[in-house]
Amino acid sequence: MKQFGKILKFELKYYFKNKVFVGVTIFLVLLIAVLMFFPRIVDAFSGNGSGETALEEDGEGKKADAKDLVMLIKAGSPEEAEAVREAFEAAFPDYDVRITEDGDRDIQEEILSENAECAFVLENMTSYTYYVDNLSMYDSNTEIADNVLQNLYRMGKMLESGMSKEQAGEIIAVQIENSSVSLGKDQMKNYWYTYIMIFALYMVILLYGQMIATNVATEKSSRAMELLITSAKPVSMMFGKVIASCLAGLAQLIAVFGCAVLFYSINREQWEDNMIIRSIFDMPVSLVVYMLVFFVLGFFIYAFLYGAIGSTASKLEDINTSVMPITMLFIIAFMVVMFSLASGNVDNTLMKVCSFVPFTSSMAMFTRIAMSTVPWYEILISVLILIGSVAGIGVISAKIYRVGVLLYGTTPKIGSILKTVWKA
Amino acid sequence: MILELKNIEKSFGSKQVLTGVSFKAEGGKAFGLLGRNGAGKTTSIRILMNVFPADGGEVLIDGKPVDYSRVQIGYLPEERGLYPKKVIVDQLAYFAELKGMSHKAAVKSVDAWLERLGMAEYRNKRLDTLSKGNQQKIQLITALAHNPDIIILDEPFSGLDPVNAMLLKDVVKEQIAQNKVVLFSSHQMSYIEEFCDSIAILNSGKAALSGELHDIKRSYVRDRLIVRTESPDRIKSDFGGVCTELEDGSLLIRLAAPEEKQGMMKRLVENYDIDEVKVFEPSLNDIFVEYAGSGTEKEDRQ
Repeated sequence: MKQFGKILKFELKYYFKNKVFVGVTIFLVLLIAVLMFFPRIVDAFSGNGSGETALEEDGEGKKADAKDLVMLIKAGSPEEAEAVREAFEAAFPDYDVRITEDGDRDIQEEILSENAECAFVLENMTSYTYYVDNLSMYDSNTEIADNVLQNLYRMGKMLESGMSKEQAGEIIAVQIENSSVSLGKDQMKNYWYTYIMIFALYMVILLYGQMIATNVATEKSSRAMELLITSAKPVSMMFGKVIASCLAGLAQLIAVFGCAVLFYSINREQWEDNMIIRSIFDMPVSLVVYMLVFFVLGFFIYAFLYGAIGSTASKLEDINTSVMPITMLFIIAFMVVMFSLASGNVDNTLMKVCSFVPFTSSMAMFTRIAMSTVPWYEILISVLILIGSVAGIGVISAKIYRVGVLLYGTTPKIGSILKTVWKA
Repeated sequence: MILELKNIEKSFGSKQVLTGVSFKAEGGKAFGLLGRNGAGKTTSIRILMNVFPADGGEVLIDGKPVDYSRVQIGYLPEERGLYPKKVIVDQLAYFAELKGMSHKAAVKSVDAWLERLGMAEYRNKRLDTLSKGNQQKIQLITALAHNPDIIILDEPFSGLDPVNAMLLKDVVKEQIAQNKVVLFSSHQMSYIEEFCDSIAILNSGKAALSGELHDIKRSYVRDRLIVRTESPDRIKSDFGGVCTELEDGSLLIRLAAPEEKQGMMKRLVENYDIDEVKVFEPSLNDIFVEYAGSGTEKEDRQ
């Protein structure tokens, strides 16, 4: 135990004296500072001019300053074209809507030469072809156009059947009111901080995992191991290293997120209208606690594996290939969680299974807790499995470590290592 | 203190590395553990240091199974290596602390050793800024700083210049004088011969020979004489076939039986111009080649 304390202290010193570690932390804190003070900075630069702050997230930036975007319209008859133009002008306030008589070829030419942004060529009032240079993922022009044309068509039909213009207008303008009450979790609200937390977990585990593997392999390749292994117990060394890196990782996260919270509270007023930022900082405390629990346990599982793998590599160059299987495993787990998160269906069968498998549960279970309602016993079982696995994997990896660090030459096969470990 | 390995057995996988290795090293004397590459020296040392357990046999201190929490061992591994990027005093103190010293005592001891080896000026430097010989001296401190009862030195002289080798010899002699068990492993027979009172030669995982070096040498049949003379030709022609000239110019005379030794010496001294005559004793080198030579060289290391 005394030994463990000394190893922990020595390893912690390694992180806090490491220039890269300190540098990255300071950089992240500065980045967060710039981000959180962004509205103020923008205000300072634009003075009291427009009063309208252009936030990157609102996506309006591109269109707001551009009334010069040209939209071309071609229809069968001038009357139709005029009707459509009027309706489109109202529906697309950012565009300069113009009627054209050119052929399709010329219209395409216009768009390619960037004289026009896009064009609607109407075959009749219920069908058209939309021309645009690069079809953006977020292009909603056809949706709007569909709506407008639909309304025009309905209006026309209603007027034909003898309705008054007012009556028809009322029917078309009718609005459905709704309000939704979520009895469980509000995914809209939770999405962003779940996303950020999963991403932080992913980054930290990959980064620190690699650091541990490199650290062990460096000791081995510099032959400091020859002395270490005769001075300290492998279990003390493994746990000392892993816990030190976990503490360093937590310290880094706390520094970054702590600063984020601090800067946010300074700039709270500026962020008042930003739903996403607000939802992130209004994260419930219980979730922060879950986050910590799953972070630490998930971190341990991978850190131990990375440590064990590091011990089997003879040269630093071998590390990258040796850790590949674990990194792949981790990335797959990350992908499953991210896709489920994006689809909104976080309780699918795959996620349910993943939330009990120790290699994936830290991310999967956390996501489920954040984004849906999980019965308490499922959380408990998942955490217990994780704790058990951490202990088991910790002891096994310390054994692999003890065998691995004394093996030089070619990286041994996993089978033969496990056989030796089994015997030990 | 007497350190004893008794019938140590060890195999890695299907490969038997040690088969019943036994030897005994006493405090206040230096012990030489010899053997060719792959004979099992490093494995024996690792078992002795409890890096991994033996499959069979015992490690005893004064006849009782060793209690590793009470016996301190200092080790200079053959594969030298510390943290190249770390400050010297920090890592030396760390290793001493791992052996159970308090931080303060560790730093104090490390400083004393740095002073003793003339390395005090490098105290706060990074290890990789030092020359190879100086790194060796730093490494030596890891084996000594925690004041161990047993000191294991694997090839301690390799890479040292004659001045540093002298310094190391003095240090080792001091440690022996403090009644510590000093265990050498080396291929440089001259050093072993100079320091070690007893030796063990391992061959293919067995102790092919072990005991007091003096006794081992005496155990050879004393039926040969070494003669140094200014006029070898006369002796050669007089003795004919039983006399051969050695590489260094001295003569080796084979006797029919050891009992003839006294008479022959007398005869030589009385009849020829003799500088020196003595009974031939094999050098450690000869003994080593005889006992360790037959084993096949194995490259696998564990």
